[in-house]
This record gives sequence, structure tokens and C-alpha cells, in this order.
Amino acid sequence: MPLRAYLVSLTLATLLPVAVFAGVVAYFLLAEQRETFRRGAEARTLAVSTAVDAALHGSIATLEALATLPALEEGDVATLRDRAQRILATQPDWSNINLALPSGQQIMNLQRPAGAPLPNVARLDPLWRRVVDARQPVVSDLVVGPVTGRWDYAVRVPVIRDGSVKFVLSAVVKPESMSRLLEAQGVPPDWVAVVIDRNNRIVARTANPEASVGQLASPSLRDALGRSPTGWFHGSTIEGTAVYTPYRRSESTGWAFAMGIPAYAVDAAGTYAAWMLVVGLLGAIGVAVAASYLLGRRVAMPIASLAAATGAMGRGEALRLATEPAITEVRTLANALQESARAVRERQELLEREKQALQAADRAKDEFLATLSHELRNPLAALTAAAHVLKVYDPSREAAIKARAVIERQTRHMARLIGDLLDIGRVSAGKVGLERERLDLGEVVGNVIRTWLASGRFERHRVSHELAPVWVDADRTRLEQIVANLLDNSLKFTPTGKAIRLSVRAEGDAAVLCVEDEGAGIPPADSQRVFDVFVQGSHGQGGMGIGLALVKRLAELHGGSVRVASEGADRGAAFTVRLPAMSAPPTQPSSAPLRRPGALSVLLVEDNDDAREMLKATLASNGHEVRVARDGASGLALAAASPPDVALIDVGLPDMDGYEVARRLRAARGGRRLGLVAITGFGRPEDQQRAFDAGFDAHLTKPVTPDRLKQALAGLR
Amino acid sequence: MSRIRNVLLVDDDADLRLALELALEAAGYSVAAAASAEEALAVQRRRPAEVLVTDIFMPDGDGFEVIERFQREFPDTRIVVVSGGGKRTKRDYLAVAQLMKVDATLQKPFEVEALLETLRSL
Repeated sequence: MPLRAYLVSLTLATLLPVAVFAGVVAYFLLAEQRETFRRGAEARTLAVSTAVDAALHGSIATLEALATLPALEEGDVATLRDRAQRILATQPDWSNINLALPSGQQIMNLQRPAGAPLPNVARLDPLWRRVVDARQPVVSDLVVGPVTGRWDYAVRVPVIRDGSVKFVLSAVVKPESMSRLLEAQGVPPDWVAVVIDRNNRIVARTANPEASVGQLASPSLRDALGRSPTGWFHGSTIEGTAVYTPYRRSESTGWAFAMGIPAYAVDAAGTYAAWMLVVGLLGAIGVAVAASYLLGRRVAMPIASLAAATGAMGRGEALRLATEPAITEVRTLANALQESARAVRERQELLEREKQALQAADRAKDEFLATLSHELRNPLAALTAAAHVLKVYDPSREAAIKARAVIERQTRHMARLIGDLLDIGRVSAGKVGLERERLDLGEVVGNVIRTWLASGRFERHRVSHELAPVWVDADRTRLEQIVANLLDNSLKFTPTGKAIRLSVRAEGDAAVLCVEDEGAGIPPADSQRVFDVFVQGSHGQGGMGIGLALVKRLAELHGGSVRVASEGADRGAAFTVRLPAMSAPPTQPSSAPLRRPGALSVLLVEDNDDAREMLKATLASNGHEVRVARDGASGLALAAASPPDVALIDVGLPDMDGYEVARRLRAARGGRRLGLVAITGFGRPEDQQRAFDAGFDAHLTKPVTPDRLKQALAGLR
Repeated sequence: MSRIRNVLLVDDDADLRLALELALEAAGYSVAAAASAEEALAVQRRRPAEVLVTDIFMPDGDGFEVIERFQREFPDTRIVVVSGGGKRTKRDYLAVAQLMKVDATLQKPFEVEALLETLRSL
């Protein structure tokens, strides 16, 4: 059921009891009003009735005065006639005065000349005997006068002399006297006032006075008079008009007075009030229903529009309402829905962002895999081709020398690639421990530059540097990694012939390394992303996108940072690494270059043929005497035969592990000097620790480059 | 030895260019090398080669541009595409190259013998 129907029902449910109660009250008010009216009408009836009695008693009194005339004692009719005529002249309503014997025989009649024969009226008037026997004055009923021939009535008084009734004196009265009396009562014109005699004949009537006189009163009035001498009833007039009638019959005269009050006059006030009440109630109900309908609209519309708008929420759209709801609760609901819509939208946006981030990460991963594939396959292809060249040419030919250089460079390149690849994972996972020492950042950078210069990698660029000594607490290998990756990046993006500048300086509490180039630069859009893993330059120069990421993480691992500044594409780039600086050591260490080792007797224990031959060639090229063994037992045998100065031992040997070989060699040599260098495939701190625990002096991670081998041997001195 | 004598190598990796150049010269080919699309076109105009051996993954546009421009400018030149993009990655450059109707594709790393065999088969 719609809300509006509920509101209309509510209004009706509230109004109907009020209407019923109002109806009951109105009914009682109407009854009360009618009763009040009736009492008033009855009082008025009594008053008029009393006036009628008074008029009749007046006539009786006049007659009684005449009856005291002394002449009557002697039967002096002539004197009486004379006096009666004078009285008749003063009574306009009287038409006659007569005197009769108790038998009814008239002996004087002013309408007849004296001496004329006169009628006996005893038989005409049923009340005659009452005057004679009861000796009471009597007002007769209406009769057609035997002399006048018109309707009139008589007032009779007994003339009592010596205790007996001698005569009966009568006055004949015209009914018009009563008509005038009624008219004098100020009865409203539409009311009917009527005086009737004992026979219920109309003596006087305000409506149709001439036609009514002598007529019988209406049947309803006659019935009422038959039931009770006074009362109130609802009936109709002789004309048939519906009337309420108060009536009263006088005990002294026997005549009655009645008033026909038109029913509409009685009911008018009540009916009007009732109509007003009905119309008012209906109007009130109508107004209430209309108001509740309109209010229902105002309540239902915002709710309906809210419901319609809520559908949009599911689609993540904002809740839009044409107007602010006027109802507090609906407004609260709308606000709550708007809050929900906002929450839904934010969640969807978050999901969308996360989805896009995931997609971006997925794309970056794909790029990375493609790049990785390329980056690893390219050097392999070069190695394969170079190996082929070595196979077909004599080693002394220039082509073979070039091929060997290719192999050397590509091997180193691949080793660094794989090292970075493994490092980025371990740095990201927080598995890299730093072997911190007090280092001169300028010296570390200088070493890297010298190594790269020696390898010819700066041949195509103008590389300059300005290195101040700044001390840091850092891991040497990781610092070299940072420098190498920055250099690698600059070389990659800087065209041939352009400049690359390196500088190290102190800036407040920081040691600052800066690598500037005149290369491709970085578009502003990419400047925040270059340090993300797998993100590559948009120029397609390749790289795996891990070098700069590694720089950033290593710098952060040292409590430092790295930033890039570029004025845009093709405007070059400047990478700045800041590390916490520390005070210089108390005694300036001699920065003497690595002492070139003299000829050593070296025992090389390595089961991998390629690695063994490579290392052997490297050692030999440096002037060392080299003996080789493929497994631990052979190595121990060689050492027993002729103790070496240094043993290079692969830890993963087929018969026993390198740690075991190291322990036995150490044990066999007793306190004598022996340099032990471990060669492992793992560079983790725990691997190094394990090597040191077994008695090794140094630890090299495969692949072993000539430089590192040289450093390791130098470190043994 | 087939009728092919002149080979143009295009790759952004100098060492790979050098190693392949040495290997192909050892097999009797006359080899020119270029590091980019522009350079390759310049070299080809100066000294036309019968076969172009190019990488897909390069700066200055990419290998696809080299292929397109050679196909347009030198329709008679045979094209061998080498790529490091692996078949297991989503970007299978060699498959795309095959769609471009190149004469042969090789995935890095490849044996020099395989390249020589490919050149002989053209």
C-alpha cells in the first residue's frame, strides 16, 4: 500500500471518531435546543390561554354586575332591558344580551322588541343545566345563534335571589373578540394560533380566520386534547401543514388554546446547525484528506526519488537528488546513502587503482622477462660466436685475440648482470648484510674508474672526475656496485663523444657522489620511476631496469639516498648519491697502489675444466707458477709433494668439499705460512663466514675476474 | 658456397656484431656491420648486401623498422632475424618477424653453424 494511502487512512482514522463524537454532541444540542424552544412555546401558550380566560372572565364579571340589579328582584324586565342596552353599547364584541327563566324560556332579548315571542334556549345549550344546577357562570360552546344566525357563543351567569336561581342572564359574544385577542399576542405570521371550544370547534384562528370559525380543529389536535388537557405534539394543521403544537385546555372555561408552529421553524435552528456541522465535518475531512494526500506526496516523492537514485549507487555513481529533502529523517537517509555511495565509489576507485597497479606490474614483469631474455641471450650469442671463432682460428691470429676479448667482456658483463639480478632480489628481501668499514669514497670511485679505464669501456666517451677524500662507513663491494651501475647507466644513454663527469665531495654531514652525463636525459614524467625495478628508459636502449633500482636500494641500505636531476629529454642527467659522512681516520693511510705480487707457487683445485683453464691462464699470465688438480685428493697429494704458497680451492669438488681440503692443508702445514683462497658460486655473508671458519684467508665468488683474483692474491701478503 | 657473398649485420651489441663478423668472415663472407636502422640503410646503399642479419631489439626505432625499410627499399635482399626475445615470454618478436615474411629467424643464442646453414639455404 502506498505511503499516501497510509497517510489518508491515518487522517480518516483520526477524524472519524471526532466526527462521530461531534454528531452525538450535535444530536444532544439539537434535542436541548428543541426542548428549550418547546418550553418557550408552552410558556407562551399558557400566557395566551390565560389571556383568553381573562377575556372570558371579563365578560362574566360584566354580566355578574348586571345580575345584581335590584330591579330583577321585582321582575322589572323593562329596567333591566334599559340597563342591558346601555351595557351592550359599551361592549362592542357583544351582539346581544338576554334573560331567561331557569327553564330556558327567554323573557328578554335585546335583539327582539319587548313583548315579542322569544325562544327557549335550554335545548340549544347542553350547558344550560350546569348554570341552573351548579349556579356557576358558564361559557357556552360555539353555536349558530338562533337569533343572529351566525357562529357565536354565550356567557351565562345565574341570577340568584334568596338562595335559588331566578333567572339566567346571558351575553352573546362574537368570536371576532377572540380573533382580535389572538392578533394582539404577536404570534409570528407563519404560526397558527387557535382558540377552540369544548366541542373542538374553532372560535378564533390567526390563519384563515373567517373560514375557520365554526370548523372542527385538526384531527391531530382533537386526538391530543382527547388524551391530555395540556401537552405538545407533532401533527398537522387543517390545511395539512406539519406543525409542532403546544396546547392547553382551561379548567375554568373548558376552552383550549393551541399554537401550530411550523415544523421547519422548530427545526430550522437545529437543522441549520446540523447542516453546518455536516458540511463542516465533511469539509474538514476533505481538507484533511487532501492535505494528507499532498503531505504524502511530499513525503513519498523524496523517498521515491531516493530509491530511484539508489540504483545509481550500485554502478558507483554519486547519489544525485534534484532537491534537498525537506523531511529531517529523509534528509538523514539521503545523507547516509550519499556517504555510502561515496564509500562505494572510493572503494571502486581504490580497486581500480590497485587493478591498474597490478596490470602495470604485470606489464613491467613481462617487459622484464623479455628484457632479461634478451640481456642473457645476447652475451650468450656473442660467447657462442666468439667460441666458434676460437675454434676455427689459430690462437695467435688477430681474430682469435679479438674473440677472446669478446669472451672476456661478455663473461664479465654476464657475471655482473646475474650478480645484479640476484642482488636486487636479496636487497629487496632485506637479506643483504653490509660489511661496513671506514672507507674513502673518493678512493673507491677512483679504483672503479681505473679498472674501467683499463678495460677500455670509456673509450668512446670523455670521462672526467674530481674526487675529494670523504670518509664513509660502508661496504666496499656495494659502493663499487653503486658506482659501476651509475657509470653503466650513463654510458648506455650517452652518445659517443659526449662527456661523463664523476665527482665526490663533502656537503655538510653528507658524502656526495655525482655522476653527470650529456646523454638522453630523463623526461619529467619518468624522473620518479627510473629507480623502480624493471623500469627502462623509453628510448629502448635496453638494460634490465634493475641497475638504478639496485643503486637506490644499496644507497638506502647505507642510510643514504639517490636522486636524479634532468632538464629533460636529450639534456643529460645528473645522479646524486648522498651517504652519511664520517670523520677521517686519525692517521692518513698510505694510499699506495696495490703491490704487484711476485711469482708465487699456486695450487689450483677446480673440477670445472673451463674455469680451471681460465684461472690457470690468468695466473700464468701474471707470472705465477701454477699446478692444477681436478679433485681434493689430487690437490692434497700435490700439496704434500711440494707445498704451495697459495692454494685456490673450489668448495664444490667431486670427492670432498673444498672446506675439508682447506682444513687438511692447514693441518698439514702446521704453523707455516699458506694462503688459502676459496672459490664459490655463492657470495652470501654466511658463505664467506663458512669459508673463513674452514681456514680460508679469502673468498672469491664465481666468475673470478683477473682483477679480483689479483686483488685476492695481493690481500694475502 | 652459395651465391651469397655480402652480409650486413645489424645489432646494437658491439661484441655480438664483432663476434659474428669474425665468424662469418672465417666462413668466407664479406661482412659489413651497423648498430642502428639508419646506419644499416646507409651502409646498404653504399655497399648492397644480399642478406641482412638483424636483431629485433634495438635503439633508434627497432628491428621491425629495419625490416620494413629494407623490404621497401631493397626487396631483393634476404632477411634473417635474430632475437633474444624468448618464446616463453609474451612478446614473441620472432613470431611477429615471421608474420612480416622474413626469410629466416634464429633465436639467440645460436650456434654459428646454424647461421651458416641458414645462409647457405637461402
